[in-house]
Amino acid sequence: MANKTQLALIGGGPGGYAAAFLAADLGMQVTLIDLEKNPGGVCLYRGCIPSKALLHVAKLINETEESSKWGIEFSRPKIDLDKLRSWKESVVNKMTGGLGILSKQRKITYIQGRATFLNPKTLRIEKMDGAVEELSFDNAIIATGSLPTQIPSLMLNSPRVIDSTGALALNDIPKNMLVVGGGYIGLELGSVYSSLGTEVSVVEMTPGLLPGADRDMVNILTKSISPKMKQVLLSTKVVKMEDIGSGIKVTFDGENLEQKEQIFEKVLVSIGRTPNAKGFGIENTAVQVDKRGFIKVNSRLQTDEPNIYAIGDVAGNPMLAHKASAEGKVAVENIAGHNVEFKPAAIPAVIFTDPEVAWCGLTENEARDKNIEVKVARFPWAASGRATTLDRNDGVTKLLMDPKTERILGMGIVGPGAGELISEGVLAVEMAAVAKDLALSIHPHPTLSETVMETAEVFFGQSTHIYRPKR
Amino acid sequence: MAKEFTLPELGENITSADVLQVLIKPGDMVSIDQVVMEIETDKATIEVPSQISGVVKEVNIKAGDKAKIGQVIFTVEDSSSNKEEVPSDGTSSKQKASSQSQGLSAEAKEMIISREEVKKEANIAEKPKAEAEILPKTEAKQGGIIEVKLPELGENILKADVLQVKVSPGDMVKKDQIILEIETDKATIEVPSEVSGTVKEVFVKAGQTASVGQVIFTVAQEEESSSAAGEPAAQPTGKTDASTLEAIDKSIIDKMTSPEKEEKVVKPEEISEQKQAETPERGKETSKEKLVTPEKPKLYIEERAQTDPSKIAPAAPTVRRFAREIGIDINEVPGSGPGGRISISDVKAYSREVSKKQKQALEAPRVGAGVPAEQLPDFSKWGEVEKRDMSNVRRKTAEHLSYAWATVPHVTQFGKADITELENLRKNYGKRAEAEGGKLTVTAILLKVVASALKTFPQFNSSVDMQNNAVLYKKFYNVGVAVDTDRGLLVPVIKNVDKKNIIELSIELNKMAEKARNKKLSLEEMQGGTFTITNLGGIGGTYFSPIVNSPEVAILGVSRSQFEPVYIDGEFKPRLMLPLSLSYDHRIIDGADGARFLKWIIDAIEQPFLMALEG
Ligand SMILES: Cc1cc2nc3c(=O)[nH]c(=O)nc-3n(C[C@H](O)[C@H](O)[C@H](O)COP(=O)(O)OP(=O)(O)OC[C@H]3O[C@@H](n4cnc5c(N)ncnc54)[C@H](O)[C@@H]3O)c2cc1C
Repeated sequence: MANKTQLALIGGGPGGYAAAFLAADLGMQVTLIDLEKNPGGVCLYRGCIPSKALLHVAKLINETEESSKWGIEFSRPKIDLDKLRSWKESVVNKMTGGLGILSKQRKITYIQGRATFLNPKTLRIEKMDGAVEELSFDNAIIATGSLPTQIPSLMLNSPRVIDSTGALALNDIPKNMLVVGGGYIGLELGSVYSSLGTEVSVVEMTPGLLPGADRDMVNILTKSISPKMKQVLLSTKVVKMEDIGSGIKVTFDGENLEQKEQIFEKVLVSIGRTPNAKGFGIENTAVQVDKRGFIKVNSRLQTDEPNIYAIGDVAGNPMLAHKASAEGKVAVENIAGHNVEFKPAAIPAVIFTDPEVAWCGLTENEARDKNIEVKVARFPWAASGRATTLDRNDGVTKLLMDPKTERILGMGIVGPGAGELISEGVLAVEMAAVAKDLALSIHPHPTLSETVMETAEVFFGQSTHIYRPKR
Repeated sequence: MAKEFTLPELGENITSADVLQVLIKPGDMVSIDQVVMEIETDKATIEVPSQISGVVKEVNIKAGDKAKIGQVIFTVEDSSSNKEEVPSDGTSSKQKASSQSQGLSAEAKEMIISREEVKKEANIAEKPKAEAEILPKTEAKQGGIIEVKLPELGENILKADVLQVKVSPGDMVKKDQIILEIETDKATIEVPSEVSGTVKEVFVKAGQTASVGQVIFTVAQEEESSSAAGEPAAQPTGKTDASTLEAIDKSIIDKMTSPEKEEKVVKPEEISEQKQAETPERGKETSKEKLVTPEKPKLYIEERAQTDPSKIAPAAPTVRRFAREIGIDINEVPGSGPGGRISISDVKAYSREVSKKQKQALEAPRVGAGVPAEQLPDFSKWGEVEKRDMSNVRRKTAEHLSYAWATVPHVTQFGKADITELENLRKNYGKRAEAEGGKLTVTAILLKVVASALKTFPQFNSSVDMQNNAVLYKKFYNVGVAVDTDRGLLVPVIKNVDKKNIIELSIELNKMAEKARNKKLSLEEMQGGTFTITNLGGIGGTYFSPIVNSPEVAILGVSRSQFEPVYIDGEFKPRLMLPLSLSYDHRIIDGADGARFLKWIIDAIEQPFLMALEG
């Protein structure tokens, strides 16, 4: 006899566990299935959390170097890799263990195992302990996340070629490393290794880092990150990789290349992530997958199988943890009979490099592509008191506004702490604030958040700390 | 039997208050929660709601007095029947007593609490979280009598105002028949009956407040159906609650203009701890979880908008969610805030308007736009079809003109005016008007002529009041002029035409036409007309029959003037002739008057002196 549950969640990442917890809070009987011992998913085990722990360390190391300008000299840090690794692991364990407890407290049935759809009403679960059971459900939510994208032609079965998971494992600190792909994961992890002492090279196929992000922001990042990297190869492709024993011989293809072939001790392949929609039996249901491999859902996150929902990385871009959680809640509320849709006005994105890059709502690129008329106001951090006290005048804050209504449509920030600052932009966009609202909201001095207020003032040509000659 | 209303408790240590205003007088009807007076303590100004209802007999206090707690403020003649055992607001007598001792409505109390910053008492009636799902509760009593209770209206909504009771004792009701119309501060909701049978007793009436769970009425069921009390027919699944809900869902949510006809996913009850605590017996009743599987979804990820805030209505997330939950398309709601931002109150106001419109449409189904639309054939069978949504102007025009067409019996009188002389004058004085920023057009001159004609024939400046069998003669002369814009037909109104000279009129007309084309017309500038001129002369054609711009009663159509041979003094002479078409409301204007009116206008155009003489 198969067990029965009201709601089955396949995948315990930030999408899955947020959904499971809400469903339990709403009184549903919930089963959460994941391969790991505890909920957490990619984000906690091998994504957001461990990478941010290491980036915190990287920032500290960078600052000890920068401080020499201010007359404070530290000797080169001694790095105890085992201790660093176990600290990182303790962070992960603390968080995932906490989620395990929260799950128990909510009386959620947590099963460590692999789930497969037998039909639209039943799952087969291969438990980690070897047992196999069937579970029938009223509703299910697929939250199986994503996997690192792999290019078969470049696949080398070599311990020297790693993906983000391998990089976060922190097995060693190589002398040099190539990061293939200039997206946020590559840049974040590249920064970590660079600060730990690795000579890092970055190769990116397109003409710029962080493809998709607004160029004015990326340019600032590129300028500050390039000196810390051995080389940043843009418009360049990796065409061949070969394990030659002492390292990986990489063949590049691109213009202005000094060396077509280089040898690296390690290669980190971070060329994106692919939705994880295969291999767990959705072909036994009516659930459909689109061309890009995402599970098709409507604005209620419902698949073609009306009692099955999909959320998070497997259900569409942007592949971000907070989007997964927000979708999870919408799916559960729909299952609970509420009339809700996933239609946010702004989803923030943060790159935790140094400086950080963050944006939300409309970007300039998007406005251009979609022919949306916007007015852009920029406030360079050179005019910010707080930035000056931090000796970090390299940032910028910008706002995108509807020229007619002056409604805030988007915000972009580069600079230390941008990730924390962007939330004000999210709130402004979601609340349909107008530029004047931001200009009239008093911001504490001296903080970087003042730049938000002053950007709004720039829109009116009245920023306190910028003089703009009258036209 | 007279009832007394005493000044309720106002808060800690307050024994009296100054009366600022008394809002009732003997003879008035008061209902529960109606604000009857305004008082001021040294803490706050408080609106005092009545705890009783009926016709006011005596008022014992006036503005300027000091009122003491417990003092009798006024008495009412109890108009409600003698069923004293059923408290009119539906709370149990015990509850009632306690709420009386607490004195004020939750709102007023909240006010006091917030000002005094006493303790955080959490008896605020509502939170902005609405569910339009409602679930009438029935309870079979012995002998086939069923009690129908006011269903749940959404989280934290404990009561609602009764707008209308649609059944009375003795009536037959059918399942799904609308029995009650109520209003929460979220929306107006029609409550359908869940059972069929004969109404025995009705316990609520319009104007009262009804509480969730309160018995609204009782129904006697026919023998064979009495067993089916909790089991609506034709539900093989036996999911009683769910099927009931679906029925209600359709009848209510669909009515609340939900654009999607998607069957809703409904779960009868979420067992939030709070709710359970509040309504333990209901929690018990429906705590059985039931998840109803919805229909196949229709939208796919391709249609899922990437987050593009410029496409999202300018409203806070809570407001967007609220609108969705009560079935209002947020994109339709006009925002009153900066940059068009939409507030909760904007949504509520819009929702109320929608319900009102629907009600009106239901009540007068045979009138104008209320005529049920005929099903269109599938044109795509014959070729390509492009569907475009009507603009607001177009929709309003369509509704308004169908109404006018359906209610006004139209007659159109045709005539021609010789404007040869007028044309000469127009050319001679055109420069002068231009110098002052006007344009001396035929329409501008006609404005003046029409104003004089309206003074001479007052019935052309009237409106028909069928409800009161009266005719309203207006003593002001505001003439609308139809303007063709790229958004559709707009009619700015030139006010007090009789008090302005032609140059002034030509300037104003010019300004208005420009405003109309530039979308700058205010609502006010399009209201208050008493007559309309529509000039198609710029385009061509001879005659047309304009539709009266109701509630006006006549409209003058102007076509293109043309040289025609006119037989004068024994010979044909080329004269510039202006075709005029006067449509009027035959209910109030007889054919002879129509002909006279048009003749007067023609004469005035041909011999302007007449205006000075008669107009
Ligand atoms: C290095 C790195 C850094 C990142 N940094 C950030 C960041 O800073 N901020 C941010 O917002 N996002 C970040 N992300 C992205 C973030 O991790 C994902 O967006 C997020 O984890 C997606 O959540 P999810 O719930 O969709 O699925 P996931 O977190 O991917 O979880 C899916 C889970 O499903 C399980 N699973 C899959 N198939 C089955 C099956 N058949 N049966 C049972 N279980 C199954 C998997 O084991 C996994 O635990 C980062 C990602 C990486 C790789």
